[in-house]
Amino acid sequence: MRLRLILLVLSLLTFLSTSIGGYLYYHNLKESALLEAEQQAEIRVEMLRINLNAQISANIRPARVLAGIPEIVAALSSPAAASLDPANQVLDHFQRNLNADVCYLMDRTGLTIASSNRNAMDSFVGHNFDFRPYFTKAIQHTPATYLALGTTSGVRGAYSSCPVYGADRAAPIGVVVIKASIEEVEEELGLGPEDIILVTNPLGVIFISNRAQWRYQLLWDLSQEEIESIGRSRQFGEGPWRWTGLKLRDDRYVLDQIGRRYLMNRTQVENYPGWNIIHLRSLDAIAKVVSEPLIRITGPVVFTASILIGFSVFFLYQKASQEIVKRKEIQKALGESEGRYRSLYNHTPAMLHSIDSDGRLISVSDFWLQALGYRREDVIGRQLTDFLTESSRLFAERSVIPEFFRTGACQDIPYQFRKASGEVIDVLLSAVAERDDAGRPVRSLAVSIDVTERNRAERALQLAQEELSRYTRGLEKQVQERTREITSILRYTPDVVSIKDRDGHYTLINTCFEAILERSNDEVQGLTDEDLFPPEVARKFRENDLKVLRERRSFQFEEQMPHPDGTTHDYLSVKFPFYGADGDASGVCEISTDITDVIKAQKQLRRLSASIMAGQEKERAAIARELHDELGQVLTALRMDSVWISRRLEAADPAAAERARDMCRLIDKNIEDVRGMAIRLRPGVLDDLGLVDALEWFTADFEKRTNITCVFEHSRIPVISESIATAAYRIAQEALTNVARHARASRAEVELVTHDRQLQLTVVDDGDGFETENLSESEGLGVAGMKERANLVGGDLEVRAAPGEGTRIRLRVSFPDEPGEMT
Amino acid sequence: MIRILLADDHSIVRDGLRRIVEEEGAMEVVAEASDGKEAIQKVAATRPDVAVVDISMPGFDGLEVVSRLKDSHPNLPVLILTMHEEAQYVVRAIEAGAMGYLTKQSAPEQLVTAIRRIYEGHRYITDEATEALALRIAKGARAKTPLDSLSMRELQVLRRLGMGHTNREIASAYNISIKTVDTYRARLLKKLDLRNNAELIRFAIQNNLIAP
Repeated sequence: MRLRLILLVLSLLTFLSTSIGGYLYYHNLKESALLEAEQQAEIRVEMLRINLNAQISANIRPARVLAGIPEIVAALSSPAAASLDPANQVLDHFQRNLNADVCYLMDRTGLTIASSNRNAMDSFVGHNFDFRPYFTKAIQHTPATYLALGTTSGVRGAYSSCPVYGADRAAPIGVVVIKASIEEVEEELGLGPEDIILVTNPLGVIFISNRAQWRYQLLWDLSQEEIESIGRSRQFGEGPWRWTGLKLRDDRYVLDQIGRRYLMNRTQVENYPGWNIIHLRSLDAIAKVVSEPLIRITGPVVFTASILIGFSVFFLYQKASQEIVKRKEIQKALGESEGRYRSLYNHTPAMLHSIDSDGRLISVSDFWLQALGYRREDVIGRQLTDFLTESSRLFAERSVIPEFFRTGACQDIPYQFRKASGEVIDVLLSAVAERDDAGRPVRSLAVSIDVTERNRAERALQLAQEELSRYTRGLEKQVQERTREITSILRYTPDVVSIKDRDGHYTLINTCFEAILERSNDEVQGLTDEDLFPPEVARKFRENDLKVLRERRSFQFEEQMPHPDGTTHDYLSVKFPFYGADGDASGVCEISTDITDVIKAQKQLRRLSASIMAGQEKERAAIARELHDELGQVLTALRMDSVWISRRLEAADPAAAERARDMCRLIDKNIEDVRGMAIRLRPGVLDDLGLVDALEWFTADFEKRTNITCVFEHSRIPVISESIATAAYRIAQEALTNVARHARASRAEVELVTHDRQLQLTVVDDGDGFETENLSESEGLGVAGMKERANLVGGDLEVRAAPGEGTRIRLRVSFPDEPGEMT
Repeated sequence: MIRILLADDHSIVRDGLRRIVEEEGAMEVVAEASDGKEAIQKVAATRPDVAVVDISMPGFDGLEVVSRLKDSHPNLPVLILTMHEEAQYVVRAIEAGAMGYLTKQSAPEQLVTAIRRIYEGHRYITDEATEALALRIAKGARAKTPLDSLSMRELQVLRRLGMGHTNREIASAYNISIKTVDTYRARLLKKLDLRNNAELIRFAIQNNLIAP
C-alpha cells in the first residue's frame, strides 16, 4: 500500500510540473505581449496627439489673419449697419473655407456684433461672452485657444481668438473668434472598442472621448470645491460631473468600478496647458490577443501531450500495482503454506513426533499431547523412551532406534505408550528420517497410530460372532418347531389353504385342497387356476387375487369351486397379500371355508322368514279390516242410536239425554281407537287405493304428527303386486319412523318413481346421519329389517349416510310386466 | 218427499241410517242394498232421487258403484257415506262422480242436510275434504309443477294463505302454533321464489289451489 501511495505521489508531481511549465510559458508570453502593447499604445498616443493638435490648433493662424482684415477692423471702429455687412461677409467666407463651426466678432465689452451664424436660431449676435478666458486673454493682447461647451449653441468647440487692433494699435478694439467643432475631431479619432481615448482638462473633466457616455465625467474623484469651480467656469455646461470611478494604480494601470484593469498612456496636448490625452487599453483584451492564438495553436498540442502523459502515468501505475499485488500474493501463499504445515502438524488427528539423533523429542503434535495427556513443555527435550512402557523401552533402545538411524526408516513398530494418567495405549509407529547435507540422519518424523480401540473391537467382534452362532442354532430349532406346528395345522384343518405368487402360480396347497383337486402339493407347484379349474371359475379367482394385490389388504369373497363328485360348493374365502423384501405384494394367501350347507340353511331360513312376514301381513290386514269394518260399523250404529236416544229424551228427561250424549262421546273415542289400531296394523288405503295414495296419506300424517316437513313426490306408477307395495310401504314407514326417532331432522323427502319396470323408492332426510360402518350395531334402526323386506321381494336396499350429512335410503325392485296403470 | 236408496253391507248401520232419514219427515228410504251389485239393480228398479252408498262392501265396492251409476244414471246424485276419514278416499269418490262425502260418525248430525244439499244439485263435502280435493287437483293438473316440491302441510298452509286466512286462523285450523305458520310462510316464499303475500295469493290462484 505504501508503495502504491509513493507511485501516486510521483504521478501527481509529474502532472504538477507539467502544469507549472505550461503556466510559466504562458505567463512569459503574456509579459512580452504586454510590453508590445505598451509600445503600441505609446505610438498610438503620439499619433493621436499630433492628430488632435492639428485639429484643435489649426485655427490659431487664420484667427490672426482674420483680425488683420480691414472690414473687421472697420466694423469695430464704426459700428454701423453699413460697416457690419462687409465684416459679416468676411466671417462667412472664413467659416466656409476653414470648415469651421462659427466665426464671430466681439467688441471691447465682449458683446458679439457680427457672426457667421447671425441668421441661425442660436445666433451669437447680441450675446456677451466676456466671461470666456479666450476673450479676457485676447483683450489683454494675447491670442488664446480654449476648449469648451458652447453656452449658446450647446456645441463643443475649440475656440481660437485674436485681438483686433484699431488704427492706433494701442489697445484692442475687439476680438475675433473661430470655433471649430469638436464632434468632427472626435469622429476622426475612430478607435476600436477595446481602446478608450480620453481628452481631459487639467482637473480631469473628460471633454473628448470615443465613449459618448464618458463625456463630462470626472476622471478622478474631485472634492466638492473643485467641482463647484468647474460649474463657475461654465466651460462644461451645467453638469453634473460624475466620477467615472476610475482609480490609478502604479501610475501605469487604471482600475474601473468592476475591477477591470487597463494599461494607461498619457501625453500633454500642445497649446492647451494641463490638458491630457489619455489612452486606456484593457489588460484582458491584451491577454486575449496573446492567449487566443496560443490556445488555438498550442492548445491541442498541450492537450494531446497531457493525455499521453496521463495515459502513460496511468499505465505505469497499473503495471506497478499488479507487480505489487503479485508479490504480496506470493508472500501470503508462502506464509499460508508455512502456517498450514504447522497447523497440519499440530492439528492432524494423528500422533506425530520428531526426535533428534540422541533420541530426544524436539517436536510433538497437539494430538500426540492430547492422546497421552501431557503438556508440551513437559515433553520437549526428554527422551522418547521415557514415555514408553518398560518392555517397549528396551525394544526401542536395543533394536528399533539404532536400526532406524542406520536405515533411515521404520514401519508399523508395535509400541506401548504410557499416558500421563498411567494408562497404557497400543500404537503402531512408522517413521522416516530427515538427513543433513552429508546424508546422516539428524531427526525423525514419526507417526503413531492408536490401535488400542481396534484391538479391543477385534476381541469384541470375536465374542459377538460366537454369540451369534449360538443364537442362530436356537433360532433354527424354533423354526423347525413352528414349521412342524404349521404343517400340522395345514394338514388337519377342514379349510382350503393355498399360497400363490404374484403371477398366480401355486406355491403351496394344504391336504384339504389336495383332496379336492385330487393332486398332491408337489404336482400343483407352478400351476395356475386355469390349469386346475374351468375357465369361468379360474377367471373369478384371478380377479379376486388381483384385487388383493392391487389394494394390498385382506378381503372376503364368496367363491364357488367344483368338487370331484361333480357338485359345486360355496366357499367363504379370506385372501390377504404376502409382502416381499422390497415391500411389494409378492403373493396371495387364501383360506376358504366351505359354506355350502350354511347357505342352504340360510335360504331355507329366508323362505321361512318370507312366509312368516307374508302371513303376518295377511293376518294384520284381516284384523285391521275386522276392527275397522265390523267393530267400527257396530260402534257407528251404536252411536246413531245413542244420538237418536238423546234427542228423544231431550224434552222428557234431560238427565237421560245427557247420559246418552256421554255414551255418544265414549263411542266416538272407541271409534277413534279402533281406527287407530286398524291403521297401525295395516292402513286400508294401501289395499283400497294403492301405494301412491297410501304413501301420500302416510307422509301427510307423519308431517302432522312429528312437525317434520315431509315432501312426497311420485311419477305415474303402474299397478304393482301387493307384496312389492307392502314392502315399499313398510320400508318407507320404517325409514320415516327412524327419521322421527333418531335423525333430529327438519325435513324428509319421499320419492317414488318407476323406470324400466323398476320401482325406486327413496327416503332422504337432512338429519344427523350415522356411520355406515357401524351398520351392524345399529340394529335398532331397523336397517336389517328393511333389507330383509327388500330381499324378500327380490329388491335391493341401499343405505347411504354420513355423520352430519343426513341419511338416504333407497329401495330398488324390479316388477314383472302387468297390464293396466294407475296413478 | 225425497226418495232415497241406502247401500251398506251392515244391516244395523242401515237401520240406524233409515231411522235418521225417516225421522226428518220429508224423506223416505225406498230401497236398501247390502252390496254393490244389489245397489245398482235397486237403483234401476226403484229410481230413487238420492243414493247413499258405503265404500267398503263385498262384491264391487262403493267407488265402483259410483262410477257405474255415473254411466247408467248420470243425473242421480250419490252421497258416499263411509267409515274412512282419509282425504284420499274423498278425492277418489269425487273423481268417480260422487256429489257428496260424509263419515258415518257424523251421520246423525249431518246426513239429512247432506242429502238435501245434493238433492238440490249442490256438492256436499266437509272443509277438510274440499281442501284435499283442491290440493289433489292442483298437483295433478300438470306433469311437473312447482307444487311437487311441497309437503302436504306446506300445500295446506299455501292454500289457506291464498284464500286470505290469517296466521291465527290457519294455526287453529291445523292445531299448530302461529309461529309455526309463519315459519311455513317464510319457507314457501323461499321455495317458490315469491316476495310477499300478494304474490303468494296470485300463485295459489294461478295453480288452482283455491277453487276445487
